[in-house]
Amino acid sequence: MKKRSGRNGFIFLCAAPAVILFTVFMIIPTINVFRMSLFKRSAYSTTEDFVGLDNFTRLLKDVNFIRSMQNTILLIVVVTIITFGFALVFAAILTREKIKGQNFFRIIFYIPNILSVVVISAIFSAIYDTNNGTLNSLLSLVSGKTVAILWKGEGMVMTSLIIAMIWQAIGYYMVMYMASMASIPQSLYESTSLDGAGRITQFFQITLPLIWTNIRTTLTFFIISTINMAFLFVKAMTSGGPNGASEVALSYMYKQAYTNSSYGFGMAIGALVFVFSFGLSALVNAVTKREPLEF
Amino acid sequence: MKKMLSILLAAAMVMSMLAGCGSSADDAAPAEESAPAESEAPAEETPAEEAEAPAEGATITVAAIETAYGSEMWQKVCEAFTAETGINVELITDKNLEDVIGPSMQAGEFPDVIHLATGREKALTETFIKDQNIVDITDVLSMTVPGESAVVGDKIAGGFTETSLTNPYGDGKTYLAPMFYSPCGLFYNAGLFEEKGWDVPTTWDEMWELGDKAKAEGISLFTYPTTGYFDSFFYALMYSVGGADFFDKATNYEEGIWETPEAQKCFDIIAKLAEYTEPTTPAQANDQDFTKNQQLVLDNKALFMPNGTWIVGEMAEAPRADGFAWGMTALPAVEAGGDGYSYTWFEQAWIPGGAEHQAEAKQFVAFLYSDAACAIFAEAGAIQPVLNIAETLEGDNQMFYAIYDNGAKAAMGNFAAYDGVVGVSNRDVWFEPINSLVSGNMTEQEWIDGIKAVNDQMRDNLVQ
Repeated sequence: MKKRSGRNGFIFLCAAPAVILFTVFMIIPTINVFRMSLFKRSAYSTTEDFVGLDNFTRLLKDVNFIRSMQNTILLIVVVTIITFGFALVFAAILTREKIKGQNFFRIIFYIPNILSVVVISAIFSAIYDTNNGTLNSLLSLVSGKTVAILWKGEGMVMTSLIIAMIWQAIGYYMVMYMASMASIPQSLYESTSLDGAGRITQFFQITLPLIWTNIRTTLTFFIISTINMAFLFVKAMTSGGPNGASEVALSYMYKQAYTNSSYGFGMAIGALVFVFSFGLSALVNAVTKREPLEF
Repeated sequence: MKKMLSILLAAAMVMSMLAGCGSSADDAAPAEESAPAESEAPAEETPAEEAEAPAEGATITVAAIETAYGSEMWQKVCEAFTAETGINVELITDKNLEDVIGPSMQAGEFPDVIHLATGREKALTETFIKDQNIVDITDVLSMTVPGESAVVGDKIAGGFTETSLTNPYGDGKTYLAPMFYSPCGLFYNAGLFEEKGWDVPTTWDEMWELGDKAKAEGISLFTYPTTGYFDSFFYALMYSVGGADFFDKATNYEEGIWETPEAQKCFDIIAKLAEYTEPTTPAQANDQDFTKNQQLVLDNKALFMPNGTWIVGEMAEAPRADGFAWGMTALPAVEAGGDGYSYTWFEQAWIPGGAEHQAEAKQFVAFLYSDAACAIFAEAGAIQPVLNIAETLEGDNQMFYAIYDNGAKAAMGNFAAYDGVVGVSNRDVWFEPINSLVSGNMTEQEWIDGIKAVNDQMRDNLVQ
């Protein structure tokens, strides 16, 4: 018994720092966000008025917030689908096919992930320039007439953001899938090819099911990171403009909390986004649940 | 065993929760109590005793925004201040000053002096004004400038300490010290006008005529860096359309003010100007690409843009059309013979309510108007609003600052401060939609309706 309590004491001591740090730096601030969302207050002042759920009722009537939420959902859906599609296909090609310069492609695809968002936004600022930009120049060359698409104009700005975000994310997920695809035994592919399965059948019948757990985990990661990355991209590339057309939930929250003296209102947005991303992750997790397959 | 372990872990969690709560409660209490107390009490007490005896050897923190003028001048001024008074200065300068000092201010640590203009996207100064979290510095105006015999108030040029920018609550008390003024107006390529034989328009009708002429040559009449630059433009426009009376009513959100013919005239002019605006402008009107819009003027692709005198330094390295020379004009008059207005843009230095060394901070603010400081600032192109400074200017600056001598009237002031209205800000309602006007995604009426919809909310929340 004495030995046991000594061991438990040791476990307690080992676990305590992590539990304390987690509580102080994660749980309490999160609770605080929810608490502050019930007050009318500004960012740098300590005076606050309790307004109950007022911030939330205003939020649901705020057309700018609804638009920013729509943009966020658009980004989550479109960027996720396209990024995952491309990342999986590229990963399958690079692991399954014998291509010269495999490593070269792997590095090229991965590079955007090393660059900071600010650098990426500078690169895309040059690509999207209306008069001398790479994209418009290329399109002009192909079509034979002067193309002057306003990539960061009101109509195209979300498309431009989507392209930049996909470009940035593909490499990272591709490398992740390559790692798990490489561990699938070659014999499976050989035996199915003897049975007459083509590459596409192999991809859907062997590759995808066998890396499904990996896809599931990354999908949850990706959805949450898209919500965060969208804020960075919007901040660096468009400042939410023109006229709020590219505002996403978190950039709108930042704007309200820090530049419009509506910290409580901003926190209400934060609370809503928190619940939203939590719910979405849970939903994705539930929907993608499969019996894990083993080789 | 397992049970024992889980009990222990649960106990650990509860303990740490309590510990966490305990510490946060401890932290929260002094912050909540002391900050408002600090902001009120010293503000009232200091003038009598402390202001006269700032502690030598103390260290104050000065946070100044780094703009086109650079940060070196601040370094020099702080050194000169220390040499004069013996008070040490810890200087923070950054282009994104709000991001640098914001987190520590949220934690309750405030710089003693902040130099930051209103009208910035992050609106830090406006936030402090709305919170009434700025120290009253009316007494600084009657202080003598350190190292000189002159009184601060006598040195500052007339009018600068009577605007809603320095006295935001309209109670006759000054809270923000006026700094670095710059006449704002429409900037253009004087070389191009000379080459084409065009005259700079003095009325809006002449402006539209010129717009058509330029269009024939493939040049757009107008561009703007970002919609934020419309604030000075709109203020000057309000003055030229309806005079100071209309300006005051409008900036205080008077009931029905946006239905008056004067307001309609302002809206019509901007809506028409949107039609003459270079079409790529809105796509570049963000913090990342705004210099591309400014470049349009340097490249002779657009004739005019609203800006301030800092543009010369900001675009100094940029390539430009042959024979380019900066020109600047006031906003054209509404009718022939009417007044043209140029908005006087100036930055502000202020002492946050939570500042620790307020007496020393006031000394510092007073020193900013000394001959020595003014000379250091002027060297970098930053012009302090002190009397007779225009005589010392050279080059482009001489021409810019002479705008008021050449017949333009000065417009000063801004929208009155209101307590944060959730989801609505002046820039979003008044100026951001101009992007949509230019791109054709919004009609003039939709823009006006948006303004009318929030005007009452702002009036109801005015900071008294």
